[in-house]
Amino acid sequence: MEGGSDDERLRRLEAKIAEAKASHTPKARELQRGFGQGEAAWRMVIELVTGMGLGLAIGYGLDALFGTRPLMMMIFALLGFAAGVRTMMKTARELTRSTDDTGDRPEDKRD
Amino acid sequence: MATEHDAAQGGLQIHPMDQFIVKPLFGDGPVEWYTITNVTLWLAIAVLAVALLMVVGTRRRAIVPARSQSVAEMIYGFIHGMVEDVAGHEGVRYFPYILTLFLFILFANVLGLIPMSFTTTSHVAVTATLALSVFLGVTILGFVRKGPGFLAMFWVGSAPLALRPVLALIELISYFVRPVSHSIRLAGNLMAGHAVLKVFAGFASVAVVSPVAIGAMSAIYALELMVAVVQAYVFTILTCVYLKDAVGDAHH
Repeated sequence: MEGGSDDERLRRLEAKIAEAKASHTPKARELQRGFGQGEAAWRMVIELVTGMGLGLAIGYGLDALFGTRPLMMMIFALLGFAAGVRTMMKTARELTRSTDDTGDRPEDKRD
Repeated sequence: MATEHDAAQGGLQIHPMDQFIVKPLFGDGPVEWYTITNVTLWLAIAVLAVALLMVVGTRRRAIVPARSQSVAEMIYGFIHGMVEDVAGHEGVRYFPYILTLFLFILFANVLGLIPMSFTTTSHVAVTATLALSVFLGVTILGFVRKGPGFLAMFWVGSAPLALRPVLALIELISYFVRPVSHSIRLAGNLMAGHAVLKVFAGFASVAVVSPVAIGAMSAIYALELMVAVVQAYVFTILTCVYLKDAVGDAHH
């Protein structure tokens, strides 16, 4: 029953450990992804709006400083919108990367 | 006019936003920065609860942990694993700060769910301070580790020369988007949930719909409990993501 050399027993033990580890890890990942989806959607929407709002605020401040009322606001609203889109795209890229990393079984996960 | 009329009729009066008013605890004068208000009280309670769990709860250091100790150990292990996963091995050095942040937000959120309590994290002033400390910390860390080279993050080298200043401006704004969206999300989630709870509680005073209202309230309460934990988790994991940007290499 105990058969085999120490080497073999060690290998068996390692396989056992790997198996135990494998049975633990996916669970945590699954949990993270579960509420990750809806949360990521909200995150992107808020980032988009925040970018524009931030741009508007900066433009408004610069206008108050220089007395060029609508000009800076318009420019910075556009810049802020671009920044919002950029942040959103960054989030989306992060998301795809993390699903690619963990996507061992691609078909049944993409729903 | 309309509200006076309603009041005279003894009709439905719902003030969902009254729960977010900052009031002085002792007497009522203007709220100065040193005034002890209900916000101060509940922030202090959150800190106390964290200390109770992490210091008093683990005091015995038992090999076979009791309930409080195993809860503390589980949270510790969970956050430690997350920091190591997301921020990498370099990021583990900043684990104490991240654990503190997580525990504080978690307890502030959950304490806010106690009836008659005050939800400190529903105020942007509180969440913005938390997000700002993360933002400043990560920025300073980036400068310390990379020196002025940290600014190269904003200078897109692959773009045509004429476009670079505009792109740098966009990059700069998008760098500031994160802490703002960070704090708005946390405060917005908490505030919206609690306001909805209060609205349903107001409807519960009408006899016809009260069973539905109370049923909906308990359902939303369960949802809010989840939101409280998830938001603390999200805030923490995003902190880890930003930390990775600062301690890892700049990739864009």
